[in-house]
Formats: sequence, structure tokens, C-alpha cells
Amino acid sequence: MTTEVDALILRYLQDLEAELHDLPANRRQELLDEVGEHIAAARAGLDPETEAGVRTMLERLGDPADIAAEARERFGVQPPPPRPATPWLEVIALVLLVIPFVGWVVGVVLVWLSRLWTTRDKLIGTIGGLSWVWAGLGTIMVQRPSTPVAATGIGEAPAGPAGSTPLEVVLVVLPFVLPLVAAVYLGIRLRRRAAA
Amino acid sequence: MVPAKRESLITQMRRGTLEYCVLALLRDQPRYGFDLVRTLGAADGLVTSEGTIYPLLSRLRRDGLVTTTWHESPSGPPRRYYQLTGEGRRALTLFTTEWDRFTDAVDRLLQQGGSP
Repeated sequence: MTTEVDALILRYLQDLEAELHDLPANRRQELLDEVGEHIAAARAGLDPETEAGVRTMLERLGDPADIAAEARERFGVQPPPPRPATPWLEVIALVLLVIPFVGWVVGVVLVWLSRLWTTRDKLIGTIGGLSWVWAGLGTIMVQRPSTPVAATGIGEAPAGPAGSTPLEVVLVVLPFVLPLVAAVYLGIRLRRRAAA
Repeated sequence: MVPAKRESLITQMRRGTLEYCVLALLRDQPRYGFDLVRTLGAADGLVTSEGTIYPLLSRLRRDGLVTTTWHESPSGPPRRYYQLTGEGRRALTLFTTEWDRFTDAVDRLLQQGGSP
């Protein structure tokens, strides 16, 4: 019996503490202490102490959200701003950015449609999302002088199993890695923006 | 009247008067929180949830209108008693005077529609 009642009271005080989270710490503690003392005094008056009696007592105390609203008003604390809506456009853009080929292209388009990222963020997203273009250009440039470079022996030693140079491996891997890096970067920027 | 409208009317009237009701309860003797809150709660329509009195008490203390002291309780842990300060007493006196004038004026208008 007592444990059930204790759990009820503990939950009530935890709810109240959570509702008071945006108040200065000393005022929050003061209110928690005073409401705690109220509960202790009320319990001392309940004889016998029943679960129904404790529930009624907590109902009379009121919804923790109402107490917190009253506290904000009395202390002149601004109510917390409503949670910003999920930025769906940005979330979809980030998901697409890590999906090869079509996702990269559509993702970059969505990044530019967003109003939450700065132009710098969008450029970084574009460089990452379109890295297959840069890799493609790089491949063409590497292959053009391929015969003379290979003849000098500079690129010979670390040649891969398929006979590809490290540079070529990098150029193949990069288009898959860079969009991921860009998506992580844009995600961090988005969170920071949402937290601001 | 629509219940929501009635509720907001009562809320508005309570605002600004409730703190003086608290001061009035402390005029003759100090009281501890639970006693204060239960007495206020017994007054019809004044308090809907008892817990909302505590932010008000905290505010009154910060404004220097009440102070708190701890006293042993006959049963259970020590209790925090609230009592009026000199400033609280002056604020209550001022409110009582103004309240009488205010309610007289409002009563006259409500009863006679403002005719002399």
C-alpha cells in the first residue's frame, strides 16, 4: 500500500520538476520543497492513508502544468516556445543525399529549396552530393596522361589487385563517402539551427 | 454564459486579488503552507488547484511582503510558517481601502446602471 502511494507521489513530484525545467534552479527547488511539504502535511492528516485519499489530495493540488504556468507568470518567465515543426523537407533531403545516383541529385535540389540552411551550407551539400561529378572529372584527368605517368613508375608500387592506382580507388570511393559527410554536416547545422 | 468564458472571467478577477487574500489570511497569525492553502481552497471559487498558491507565496516572499520561519509541528516534520512583514501589512491596508472604494463604485453601477 505505502509503496503504491509513494510511487504516486514520486511520479507527481517528478512531473512537476519536469514542468518547471525552464525556471531558475533556486525557484524550482523552492517550489518542489513547498509542494513536497504540502504533501507531507496532507498525508499526516490522512487517517487511514488510502490510495484513493492520496489521489484526491494530488488532484486538489492540481495539474503540474498549471502550477508551472502560474510560476512562470508570477516570476515573469517567458513560456517555452512551441516545439518547432519537424523540418520534413530537410530531413528528406538528408536521407536522399546518402542514396546513390538519383538520391544525390534530388537531395541536392532539395537542399537548395530549404530555407533553413545558409548558402555556405548549401554549397557544401552540393559539393558532397555531386562528388560523383568531381570524381568523374578527376578520373578523366587521371586517365588522359595515364601512359606516361605509369611509365615513370611513380604510381606503380601501390597498384591495387585490379591494377588500379590508389588515386583511382579514391576517385571511386569518394562519390559514396562525400555525400555521407555532407549529410552529417548539414544534419548538425540543422540541429544547431533548431536549437537556436 | 459559456463555461470557458465564465472560467476566464473568474481567472481575471482572481488575478490581482488573490495575493491580498493570502496577506489577509496572515494578518492575525502566521500559518504554514498547507493550512494557508486549505483555507484559501475552502473559499468558494477562489482557488481551483491548491498547488498554484505556492508560486504566489514564493513571489510574495521575494517581494518582501511575507517571511518564512520554521516551527516544530505536533505531528511530523517541522513546518515552514509564513508571516506578514511590515511592508506586507502596509500593502494589505492599502488594498483594503482601495478595494472598498472599488467595490462600492462597481456595486453602484451594477445595481443602478449608473443613475444617481
